Amino acid sequence: MFTIKPVLSSLMRSRTGPLLLLLQIVLSVAIVANAGFIIQERLALMQRSSGIAEQSVLSFSLYNFGEKVNLPQQLKRDLEILRNIPGIKAATSTNMLPLSGSGWSDRFIDGPDPETAKSTPGFAWYLGGEQMVDTLGVNVIEGRNFRADELNHSITDSGMKALMSAPLAKEVFGEESAVGQIMYQGSDNQIEIIGVVEVLQGAWVDSDQFDYSVIQNIELNENRSNQFMVRADRRDVPALEETIKQALRAENPDRVIRNFNTLRELKDMSYAFHAVMAGMLSIMIILLLVITSLGLSGMVMFNIQRRTKQIGTRRALGARKRDIVGMFLVENWLICFSGGLLGGLLAMELGSQLMTLFSLPMMGWQWPAMTVAGLLVITTVAVLLPARKAALISPAIATRTV
Amino acid sequence: MLSMKKINKVFKTDLVETHALRDFDLQVEEGEFVAVTGPSGSGKTTFLNIAGLLEGFTQGEYTLDGVNVSRLNDNQAARIRNEKIGFIFQGFNLIPDLNLAENVEVPLRYRGFNSAERKRRVEQALEQVGLGARMKHLPSQLSGGQQQRVAIARALAGEPRFLLADEPTGNLDSLMARQVMELLEEINRNGTTIIMVTHDPELARRAQRNIQIVDGQVCDFTLYQGGDEPQAARA
Repeated sequence: MFTIKPVLSSLMRSRTGPLLLLLQIVLSVAIVANAGFIIQERLALMQRSSGIAEQSVLSFSLYNFGEKVNLPQQLKRDLEILRNIPGIKAATSTNMLPLSGSGWSDRFIDGPDPETAKSTPGFAWYLGGEQMVDTLGVNVIEGRNFRADELNHSITDSGMKALMSAPLAKEVFGEESAVGQIMYQGSDNQIEIIGVVEVLQGAWVDSDQFDYSVIQNIELNENRSNQFMVRADRRDVPALEETIKQALRAENPDRVIRNFNTLRELKDMSYAFHAVMAGMLSIMIILLLVITSLGLSGMVMFNIQRRTKQIGTRRALGARKRDIVGMFLVENWLICFSGGLLGGLLAMELGSQLMTLFSLPMMGWQWPAMTVAGLLVITTVAVLLPARKAALISPAIATRTV
Repeated sequence: MLSMKKINKVFKTDLVETHALRDFDLQVEEGEFVAVTGPSGSGKTTFLNIAGLLEGFTQGEYTLDGVNVSRLNDNQAARIRNEKIGFIFQGFNLIPDLNLAENVEVPLRYRGFNSAERKRRVEQALEQVGLGARMKHLPSQLSGGQQQRVAIARALAGEPRFLLADEPTGNLDSLMARQVMELLEEINRNGTTIIMVTHDPELARRAQRNIQIVDGQVCDFTLYQGGDEPQAARA
């Protein structure tokens, strides 16, 4: 049923059509393999755990414009109001919002002499109150959270304590425990690491150091503009915006309260480019596969037209219907395999160029292999339908004028 | 060798019913060389197609080499075509993308012969028709007569019990037609039964027996002996 040599001979002697198709398959494999790989990379980025109860955390900003407002007192009062709103389980002020695309970053050094000390990698630097851990819903896996009585209000205060994300702790301290370690900000400020949280992502979804984060016990209270995060049951979150506005304005009407977003909404906005890219690449893959399949299907249909008498003659000489189907399938598989092989090589080369130009990770060989396998299945279906039609050509055609 | 009894072939459309063969009876003995003649539209090609199992028939009984082939399925018919029948077509029907050896090899592949056996048979068949030295040539590089000899080699390679030739010299000039005819006669002398459809009365006269088909029936059934004119008589 599947004889390769005569089909190959035939293909080699009528080169133009098969060559064009081969070229199409080479390009399809190279593009689809890389596009598939990029989609998978993007989806993997989007599916990373942030460590945060994203849909249960509502963030907003507040700007106090009253001239006589006592900012530290106002912040304290605002936090009390928020924590007393029914349904709110925890509330904190914060210098930055996770997954938002903007925030603060810093580095620690491991000794008082900046000249000789070793620096940690950069990390997202969260400053907030004792309820930040509960508000975010992050999991403290070692050590403890800081207490209310340990809060500072300026980055130059003494008695700094910090919680570190586990990936950062591992990067800095290896297998050694981070808890109890002393780090420095410049030569004067000591920071004691008192706890490790399992996962806490920063603000920048494309950063290599996205999982490196530190929460420090600083509740900044001298700013007119503050950001807040409150944690509530997911079902209660939609109603909270109005409740919060009313409660805070009742206390002091001279303020602007806006930018209400759940952390999930911020995450979706940060990943919007990735989602659009994944969508567009998916559409491109589908279009390429459809075009390739149509190309093959078209070539088979054209060949059926062109070779009607030849097919009839083959049937007259003893070919069964499945021999005719097999002939077209072998033709397709030969083009697909050779196109797949060349396309695979081109895909790897394209992948390595993309890796260099756009700092993408190296694509594994399994992507071109999977693409060729997928293409083989799709094109087999595309060829099978017209090939079965060809098999229905009567052997009596051999004696008729076509 | 071949026995057709009361074969009828009716082509039906919504509006019209055409009887291509009507109560068609024919016996061909092993080793015979039979020429089939008749005017256009008389049913010659339909007879050839039915005899070669290229198409079915509406009624009747057909026995080929002792096997009742009246109701075969597609695969069974393909197998008998491949093993017992050699076809020679008016237009040669060679596959233009394959060289001569590959063309002759086509039916042998369908038969499932291994590579060595195919090679042996291809070489033998092409030698027999005088084209052993041109196995790698493409059909387009040959004259019409040579192409028909390749087609004959393709028919012979499977060592069929009988050959069906459809106007085998119809597309050839007289010299080449004579050469092809001589080749067929030689094949027949070696024991292969041949049924040849032709328009050419001169060629028909060279066969042992001439059958004339008119309106789907055997009209003339004469054994030629030494160039006598065929007698007009209903069989």
